[in-house]
Amino acid sequence: MSDRNQLVRDNFINAVNANILPTSTITLTPTEVGLSDADVIDLFETQVISRHLDLQSRIMQKKGQSFYTIGSSGHEGNAAYAKAFRPTDMAFLHYRSGAFMIQRSKQVPGQTPIYDMLLSFAASKDDPTSGGRHKVLGSKALNIPPQTSTIASHLPKAMGAAFSVPLAKRLALSDEQSKNMPQDSLVVCNFGDASSNHSTTQGALNATAWAAYQSIPMPIVYVCEDNGIGISTSTPDGWIAANYKDRAGLTYLYCDGLNLLDTYQKAKQAEKLAREQGKPVFLHMRTVRILGHAGSDAEFVYRDMKDIEATEFNDPLLHSARILLENNILTQAEIVKIYQDVELRIAQVAEQVATKAKLESAEAVMASIKPPVLPAQVSSRYHKVVKEEDRKALFAHEKHNLNKKQHCAKLINWALMDLMAENENIVMCGEDIAKKGGVYNVTTKLNQRFGQNRVINTLLDEQSILGLAIGMAHNGFLPIPEIQFLAYVHNAEDQIRGEAATLPFFSNGQFSNAMVIRIAGLAYQKGFGGHFHNDNSFAVFRDIPGLIMACPSNGADAVAMMRTSVKLAREQQRLVVFLEPIALYMTKDLHDEGDGLWTSNYVTPAEAIVEENVSSEMKIGTFGDGKDLCIITYGNGYYLSRQAEKILSEQGIKCRVVDLRWLAPLDEKGIVEQALQCKNILIVDECRQTGSISEALVTLLAEAQADSNEKMINTKRITAKDSFIPLGAAAYHVLPSTQEIVDTATALVNKESK
Amino acid sequence: MTTLDSANNTSNPAKKRAVVICPGRGTYNKEELGYLQRLHSDKPELIEVIDNYRNQQGQVTISELDQMQQYSMRLHTAGENASALIYGCAMGDFQAINKDEYDIVAVTGNSMGWYIALAVAGALNPEASIELINTMGSMMTDGVIGGQMIYPITDENWCIDHQVVANIKQWLIEANSKEGCDVHISINLGGYTVFGGNKAGLKALEALLPVVQDRYPMNLFNHAAFHTPLLNETSKKAQSLLSPTLFNKPAIPLIDGLGQIWQPHSTDIKALYDYTLGTQVVAPYNFSKAIEVAVKEYAPDKLIILGPGSTLGGAVAQSLISHEWLAMRNKSDFIAMQKKDPFILAMGLPEQRTLTV
Repeated sequence: MSDRNQLVRDNFINAVNANILPTSTITLTPTEVGLSDADVIDLFETQVISRHLDLQSRIMQKKGQSFYTIGSSGHEGNAAYAKAFRPTDMAFLHYRSGAFMIQRSKQVPGQTPIYDMLLSFAASKDDPTSGGRHKVLGSKALNIPPQTSTIASHLPKAMGAAFSVPLAKRLALSDEQSKNMPQDSLVVCNFGDASSNHSTTQGALNATAWAAYQSIPMPIVYVCEDNGIGISTSTPDGWIAANYKDRAGLTYLYCDGLNLLDTYQKAKQAEKLAREQGKPVFLHMRTVRILGHAGSDAEFVYRDMKDIEATEFNDPLLHSARILLENNILTQAEIVKIYQDVELRIAQVAEQVATKAKLESAEAVMASIKPPVLPAQVSSRYHKVVKEEDRKALFAHEKHNLNKKQHCAKLINWALMDLMAENENIVMCGEDIAKKGGVYNVTTKLNQRFGQNRVINTLLDEQSILGLAIGMAHNGFLPIPEIQFLAYVHNAEDQIRGEAATLPFFSNGQFSNAMVIRIAGLAYQKGFGGHFHNDNSFAVFRDIPGLIMACPSNGADAVAMMRTSVKLAREQQRLVVFLEPIALYMTKDLHDEGDGLWTSNYVTPAEAIVEENVSSEMKIGTFGDGKDLCIITYGNGYYLSRQAEKILSEQGIKCRVVDLRWLAPLDEKGIVEQALQCKNILIVDECRQTGSISEALVTLLAEAQADSNEKMINTKRITAKDSFIPLGAAAYHVLPSTQEIVDTATALVNKESK
Repeated sequence: MTTLDSANNTSNPAKKRAVVICPGRGTYNKEELGYLQRLHSDKPELIEVIDNYRNQQGQVTISELDQMQQYSMRLHTAGENASALIYGCAMGDFQAINKDEYDIVAVTGNSMGWYIALAVAGALNPEASIELINTMGSMMTDGVIGGQMIYPITDENWCIDHQVVANIKQWLIEANSKEGCDVHISINLGGYTVFGGNKAGLKALEALLPVVQDRYPMNLFNHAAFHTPLLNETSKKAQSLLSPTLFNKPAIPLIDGLGQIWQPHSTDIKALYDYTLGTQVVAPYNFSKAIEVAVKEYAPDKLIILGPGSTLGGAVAQSLISHEWLAMRNKSDFIAMQKKDPFILAMGLPEQRTLTV
């Protein structure tokens, strides 16, 4: 143990033995706050365990047995509010919540928090939370989804989970196997004072208050654990209180986290407000930070020694010792003995933990990137086949159109109509998707048919939309959030990248947040221009492990792929991004005006061919069987390539056109199989030259041919320029066109035949 | 009181840290006849309190039972006799542990062993201990309610067969769906599941359980349907007969049949009473979980199983194997470990007993 650790460890014993303890102006007694003497000792024991786990983690680090020593020292007061809530109240916790975890573990019999937390310090594969993937606080049994919480990105989903509790009640969803929380649950979410500055915190609090302000129940207690400093940067004095004391829609409460009694009392008040009245609470808890930011942080570099020592004297454990002595609950000797016994106990358990195996292969590490497939009886809980007469009523407004060919937007709308009827736990949320039906009418009439609880207009904040969806998914919903334009998702992408996608990984598959995120995007919109509505980059999604990405190029595919996406979410708990090319929403014709070749008949759920295995539905589509040229493309590129194919065919160049359909994971086998049958390959990618999927395709094809003795097939690509999309017709200067495809293809084939 | 000595010692890192495990019913068998006399004639004050109480109740004393010429299934396994007798032996064993060598860091027990654990940990004083144990043991004098049946859930290597565990769940549902059948899991006993139920329920379940090792499923003689809802009335009766004032805070941490830890200072006595005479009487006793919590949360150097008998050894070992404790993955690992440097010390086995006293 480094000197500071040893000092903090010894200080407690010396101060208690000498009875020189920090004072407080709070004069509450256990009885006044509704705690028995035994309860206070119990909380103190929790605090002591948490502290010694911190100290032990640093001993382990010195021995090379522990890898991440950020701890809870100074924040052990969170034990008191853990006791104020129920173990079924889902808790989204930041990394200084060791005492909360330990205290909650006492509410559910048979927990082994000391062993489990030490396993996580040691990155042992036996760690029951993450399976050795991270030192995260979390537990399935305790309803604590693991968070890294380093950038407060857990707040938006906490907000969403809180919204979902009364929502599930309104929709009468209460099935334990489907992960529905008890209907009188609240949500607890904590974070630090420095983290309150993250836009995620600001957004989540804003969304919570926005809802509560209009009397929507939001049963959540946010606890801001204010230790006055973020790594080395001090929080301005009074900043937290000044910000949140008078915030519309939020009830502000303050407690002294150094005092168990005060904290418990205020937490109980907060609980009442949130649970009984559905009012969100901002519980501002004063804490201190002891032992620096983390084990690697040399606090003396930026902090006065006097300040460090004063903080250490203000140790919440010493405050607790004072409370125990003042109330004649324990003697000095008894307090010290508890402290020493726990220390020894933890050291012994740590020795055992050090012998436990680590993750030993890439395969083992990656085993939980995909969450487990659910047993059919669970995944079918909220799923049903809709009776034909009920469908008739649903589609009454379209009865004259149902047998006519329709464009993509209409077909997606109908598919959603059927899916919402089939799956009563689907909830859609997004900007303007309700009565207006979305900016492109894709969600039209859904609000009218399924009500405002299932088709929700959100505030204008993408982080909140995704956080809402993730939170709802924690409560057994199958959310279909909509991001209005692809460019807007970049405002919130970490909710997918850092949160939704990592949840199965860091929880060893125990938690999941399956959903289908609909995003309208890509370029080529006629008459509606500019970069922010025509963004042509989705590279941000392509490297996210486990994420599935769909991009239909036409209505018929969109219907089938939307159904597959929902099935993947429902049965396999997968996270799906469904990218809808805006420019093709209303497109009806392919070659000539009025040819109607880009419209399709709606295939009803009953008529649809369902593959035995969902993954066999994630295949490429191929048009034609020419061997002169294989065009590989997707989205708008597929549409343009189909136009080009006709022209090329008239010139005697026989093509086949491959529509990728699924952008992640790629149907690699299908692509290679088609491409290698042709003499030339042309990749048409409407996204930028740099970072677009065209790069992956070239690589894939090169690697597929590398082992063969045959000459490499001539391969070229057409991509968008490395530019943003300008307004008006200027956009076409930086995007692939039909003519460019024809010209490039002709040159390629002619070169090959020479 | 010698029982409390260890609690007053300051933890001494030089001592070995042990978790003590208290035996349940069925551990005083033919071979154990004379156990008290052989091993505990030096503790007259312990036996006296028990015998005096039994005299007052008009029951045969444990000294007499222990010194009988012949072991009698009827007499020695009847609850009203077995409980007190086993308690006497176990408590004697606990007192015999060399406290200079061992720090007792926690105590647990199996089934009736929970009552003994309360006594050992000081949550019940000697008078209260025999009153509670004898009262609970005598609950079936007017006729045993239901019965117990034991069935293995491990393979020959003592590894849990998860398919069998899953099947058992289904078989229980099936058995209970039959007219008049009422059968439950009574104890998770390491490599065994003990069922408790009414006659019809046990019979229906027995018909579904494939026979293994030529003897399972095996009905346990003279055992009631402990730890099941069939004992709801018994639980109520117990609470009317026994007062919460019998209970103290334990001096040593206790681990119960749900895997909850009761710490010396923070124990809520009323909650301990409610658990002991309420929950524990009518809900499954998860001994496997108690062992898991004991090793994971205390990482003791040794597990000491009090006598009489040593039948809990297998169940404890199987629980350890299911968590790969000390890298034990199967029966032969366990046997090797026990040969080299035994982790489990059963005081009912003379060669292991010498390592504890």
